Order: sequence, then structure tokens, then C-alpha cells
Amino acid sequence: MRYVDAGYAAALGTLLVYAITLALRRRRWARAFKVAQADQLVDQPDADGTTARVVPGVRP
Amino acid sequence: MWRDALLVAGKDLRIEARSRVALWQVVPFAVLVLVLLAFAIGPDAAPLRAAAPGIFWIAVLFSTVLSIQRSVAIESGEGTRDGLRLSGIDPAGIFLGKAAAIGLQLLVLQIVLWAGVTFLFDVRVHVVWLAITASLVATVGLACAGVLYGALSAGLHVRDTLLPLLVLPVLAPVLLAGTKTWQAALDGNASSGTEWLRLLIPFAVIYLVIGIVLYGPLQEAA
Amino acid sequence: MTATGQTARPIPRAPAQSPSPSALSAAAAGRSPRWLSVVGLLGVIALGFTVWLGLWITPPDAVQGNLARLLYIHPPIATVALYWAGGVALVGSLLYLWPRTRSLFWDRLAASAVEVGAVFAALTLVTGSLWGRPAWGVWWTWDARLTSTALLLLLEIGYLALRRVPADPAVRARRCAVAAILVAIDVPIVHFSVDWWNTLHQGGTFLDPGFKLHAHGSMLWTFLLGFIAFSLIFVWLLGMRYRIEVLQDHVGDQELEVSLAERWDEGAGLAGAGAAVGVGVGTAPPPPSGSAP
Repeated sequence: MRYVDAGYAAALGTLLVYAITLALRRRRWARAFKVAQADQLVDQPDADGTTARVVPGVRP
Repeated sequence: MWRDALLVAGKDLRIEARSRVALWQVVPFAVLVLVLLAFAIGPDAAPLRAAAPGIFWIAVLFSTVLSIQRSVAIESGEGTRDGLRLSGIDPAGIFLGKAAAIGLQLLVLQIVLWAGVTFLFDVRVHVVWLAITASLVATVGLACAGVLYGALSAGLHVRDTLLPLLVLPVLAPVLLAGTKTWQAALDGNASSGTEWLRLLIPFAVIYLVIGIVLYGPLQEAA
Repeated sequence: MTATGQTARPIPRAPAQSPSPSALSAAAAGRSPRWLSVVGLLGVIALGFTVWLGLWITPPDAVQGNLARLLYIHPPIATVALYWAGGVALVGSLLYLWPRTRSLFWDRLAASAVEVGAVFAALTLVTGSLWGRPAWGVWWTWDARLTSTALLLLLEIGYLALRRVPADPAVRARRCAVAAILVAIDVPIVHFSVDWWNTLHQGGTFLDPGFKLHAHGSMLWTFLLGFIAFSLIFVWLLGMRYRIEVLQDHVGDQELEVSLAERWDEGAGLAGAGAAVGVGVGTAPPPPSGSAP
């Protein structure tokens, strides 16, 4: 019966851990996406050809 | 020299941590070798159990070759090796650092392979200290000889086919001694195992010393 | 400060090439779609019932005793790994390669299926070994099913290693699609050859080749419930993994755009003070260690 319990625990545990890692990864990449988006918006050039620059050290 | 070694080892390990090549390629490859050898030796459990130590060390040896190729490839970019030489880092330090990085990866690999062999071939290590000591000493020898021969073949176009040909015969004593010690560890026969340790230890020491001495001149010549 | 809270005006780029960032962000960075969460919830509930029924309510098997309880979860997990995951990976790869239906959607779906499938394949081996140890006395035996599953796992790891090699998404997609098809062809071949080689693994406890069901009553219902539960869980995990795949590709695109914009600016002679724009300056994945929005 020990083996059975171990099997159920392994199956449920692994799937739980995997689901959690997926959720964490999604959150990490979503954050990276937002950051990358912000940089793109700031980096776009004005109509006259100059660029709205980010002052070093200040993040939007 | 030691500080340089730590520097280089840290660099190699950090590259590995970022790219995870060893994790995703070398470890699966080693497990694959286990599986393929199982195919070759047959479905019956008894021959597999008898061959388990040998299979373990063959997998380690082939993986060592892969690791060396990877270690050399890290610096195969344009001018990287020249930059390393010109940076003023002690070549013996480079040698030790690279050997340490490879050695660490090999140790992790052996842990995985140990689990794999236990699981797939239905064996159990009875004299644990013997197996661990043999693995540690053998790994030193493998890493040192490996880095040395890697440097030897580094600049060559035929590097990928030449390196295995050059280094595997050199590593044969490790295969022999490693297999015998692990066999003893599996059988529970400590005394015959320690006999074979007497081959592994000199091998490791010799290649460690040779590496420290010859790596610098080797870099100059390449 | 979030992207939406910034004070710099969002000025449209002079050469307008990129798709609207807001549309992408809404789709990609938002929470899981409703139907996926529902599937996940149903799967978890079904799984809970399966465990409850399997471990407590159902009677022990006449022959195997309590050990048979593992058979409520082992065959469903194996089915998911082999057929659901493998099927999605194969079909997705084929559809990607077929010019009429080519779309990165299929490639991303296939890749997600391979990863989730690898997890299930590993679980198949684990639950199978835990069943085999008391049943046969050994953790492992080199019979056709176990060996093929082990090889499937190795092949899937190979695919995942291949996928991690940095490349243009279309190139990577084509490469991986071919790899997936080769894997799908290979597994049956391995299975048949190992079968000729030896057989020990028992035939299905519940199902005959003639598809006559042997188990009765609560055992049968639990078994079917297990299949449903794990299938739902598979779909849920697949969906979650797919979204990560999409996000990764979009982040890669955004970082590329940022780098291009900077090169453009430098070319226009505007390099100089304030040249350091935060993150993603041409660096490939992994993403920056998260700065909280």
C-alpha cells in the first residue's frame, strides 16, 4: 500500500509543482513583456526626428 | 594561480548556468548511452546486472568527451583564445579552472547516472564510500586529461572527430579501474576495490601535474 | 511605475511597422482565458474525485489487492503522454509544415505539447515503476512498453533541447516540426522492435484487444473518471504552457524592436548622454529579473 500512496503522491505532487512553475514562468514573461513594451513606447521618435530619451537611472 | 583558476572556473560554470547545455544535452546523452547499451546487452536482467559498472563508466567516458568539446567550443570564437592568452591570466590557472568546471559537471552527471544505473539495471551499491571515492578520483583524472587533450585539438578543423580518437585511449585506464572498483562496490568486496584505487589515484595526480606544467606551452604552440 | 502609468507621451513611430502594442499586451499578458480556467477547475475536481474513489471507496482487486489502485492513474497518465500529447505535437507539426495551414500557432502548440507530454511521460515511468516493484519485484524491466516510453521521454528531451537553441521563430518552427514528426515515427518503430525482443508487460487489465471490459462497478467508473480527469488537466496545462510560448516570442520581438530603434537613433546621430535605455538592449532571453511594476 506504501507504493500506491507513493504513486498517487508523486502524480499529484508533480502535476501541482509543474502547474506552479508554469504560473510563475507566465508571470515572469508577462512582466518582461510589459517592460519591453514600455521601452518601445519611450523609444519611439518624435515627428521631427528626435527621440524622447530616457534619463539614465530613471525608469518609466 | 588559484585565484585565476577560480575566475576561469566561475566563468565556465556561469556560461553553463545560462546556456544549460550540459543539463539539456550531456545528461540526456548519458542516459541514452545507458539505454542503448541495455539494448545491446539484452533484455535478461542477469547480464545487465553484471555489466552495470562497465555501462556506467562507458557512459561517463562518452559524456566526458562531449563535455570537453563543449568546454573547448566556448572559446572557439574569433580571437577568444588569443584574448585569454593576452589577458595575463596564468595558463596553469586556466587549466585548473576549466578542469574544475568540467569536473563539477561530471560529478553531477555521475550522480544522475548512478541513480539511472540503480534504477534501470536493478543493482545496489553496497560499499558506498568506495564508489564515491572512485568517482571523485576518477573525475579528477578525467577532467585534467580531458582539458589537456582538448587544448591539444583546439585549433584544428577536424577537432570533433579527432578529440575522441585522441582522448579515449588515454582514458582507458580510468574505465578499467573505475569499472573494477564499482564492481567491488556493488558486490560488497571492499578490499579488491581498494586495489584498483591504486591505479586511479596516480592517474589523477599525473595528469593534474602534467596539465599545470604543460598547458601554458600548449597554448603558446597552438 | 507601470507601462500605463508612464508620463512620456506614446508617440507613434514614424515608419509604422509594428502591430499595436496594446492589442498584443491585452492578449498576451492578461490572465488565462475563462474557458481554460474552467477546464482546469473541472480537471482538478475530477482528479480529486478520482483520488478519493481510487484510494478509499473502491474495493481492492481480487488478484492484485490494493496495488491495483495505481491502475486508476497509471494508464490515464500514459494515455495522455503517448496519445494526447504526442498526437497534438504530431498534428501541430504537420499543420505547421503544410503551407495552407502554416501558422506559428501550430508550432507553439506542438512545442507546448511536447513539454507537457514529457512531464507526463516521466510520470508514466514513475507510476509504472511503483506498480512494477511490488508486482514483479523489480523497479524496471526492458519490455516493450516501458522501453518505448523511456525512449519517448529521451526523444522529447532532445526536442526540447533543440527548441532552446536560439533562432528566428520561423526557422526554429520548421526545424522543430520536422523533429517532432521524426519522433512520432520513431516511437512505434522502437515499440515494435523491442516487442520482438522480449515481452513481459502484462496486457491491459481492463481492456482486451477485443475491447471487452473486465472490471465492473465502481472500479470501472473510477477508471473512466481518471481518464477524464487527466485529460482535462492535460488540456489545462497545455493551454498555460502555450501562453508562455506566445509571451516569450512577443518579448523577443519587442526587444528586437527596441534594439532596432536604438540603432536607428544612433544612425541619426543622436547617440550620447542618456543612451542607456533600461532593459532588453539586444540581449536574448532570459528575461530581466523582474522589477515589480
